[in-house]
Amino acid sequence: MPSEEQMMDVDTKTSLDKLPAGMERSLPLWEIASVVTSCLIAEWAVLVFIGRNKLVMAIPVTLAFALMLYSHRERGETLRDIGLRTDNFLVSCRLLLLPTVLAVLLILTFGWFTSQGHFGAPWRWRFVALPLWALFQQYVLNGFINRRAHMALGAGAKSIALVAIAFSVLHLPSPLLALLTLVAGATWGFVYQRSPNLYALALSHSAVSLTLAMIVSPYWLNGLRVGFKYFG
Amino acid sequence: MKLPSTNLAYVLIGKSILETLLVGSLAVIAFLTVLPPSFHGWGEITDHGVAGWAVNSGSPWERVEVQLFVDGNFFATEVANRSRPDVPSAHWALDEWHGYAFEIKSLTPGPHEARAYALRTSRQATKKSLQLVGTPIPFIVGTDGIFRKPPDAK
Repeated sequence: MPSEEQMMDVDTKTSLDKLPAGMERSLPLWEIASVVTSCLIAEWAVLVFIGRNKLVMAIPVTLAFALMLYSHRERGETLRDIGLRTDNFLVSCRLLLLPTVLAVLLILTFGWFTSQGHFGAPWRWRFVALPLWALFQQYVLNGFINRRAHMALGAGAKSIALVAIAFSVLHLPSPLLALLTLVAGATWGFVYQRSPNLYALALSHSAVSLTLAMIVSPYWLNGLRVGFKYFG
Repeated sequence: MKLPSTNLAYVLIGKSILETLLVGSLAVIAFLTVLPPSFHGWGEITDHGVAGWAVNSGSPWERVEVQLFVDGNFFATEVANRSRPDVPSAHWALDEWHGYAFEIKSLTPGPHEARAYALRTSRQATKKSLQLVGTPIPFIVGTDGIFRKPPDAK
């Protein structure tokens, strides 16, 4: 029979291991804020204070990545849960087809009317890495932020709005890019909640980004620069 | 999917602290790079101008470039490399060649203020900053064109 002191020790240990009531819903929001803050530090603070130092910029990115991986482990999330899977690829593609085609057509129209005869930018080899970059962004946006928003606010408009706002904030201060990412973030967030597949989302993301980079004049998008880099 | 333990909250707190330290360190490093607190100097009026000395104690052999502003307007720039034997004897520098002297003409009679700034170039010459060396130098130009200290000046 354990003594009263031993019982208290056990109770204390158990209560420290468990999250307090109410925190189960607020913790995911804290996780979102933490990851977004890391990205903002990399985009703004490092560039303002140090300049283009990739090593220093890697510190907040690494911290965010470490947090995301640890959080997945703590919550027992698998790659399949996150959306790195192939079984629902076609379903996701079907959901994304119409908004992606519509976005590409809108961008082409915008580019046509604003190009003043200089339609289309030259091909750059860095565009080859775009699908990988898109997959990484979709992982952070939907595989992490959307899932945490869903945990805190439930499926639907509120969590999708949070995803869209987070995505848009990370593309400030470019006004056009912030607006585009707000709409794109909401669309991708909606599709992810219906059918979570990051490969399909990365494909859509790549198509839209490539069209933007090649069609819309740098005058409007400033070379897709975000954060402090936007200013030059 | 399982519920996370409090460890996740501790990780979040730890990450926040690390990021606060990172941003704080970046701010301090940036300040020390662009505006290092190693510039020292002094300036005073002469009969027809301002003279003084400027040193960078972080780089004692460097000849500091000084820019003079009169009444808030840029007046002239000069490298502080004139002889000032009093500077090493007061242990501000290792040698005496840190003096500057500006002759100021065409100032209207009346009260004015001069400020001497050390020019600092950093980050592969992409940034230039000015730091006040010494204190602002108030003076009065008399009708005879001679510069004098204001009566209440120390």
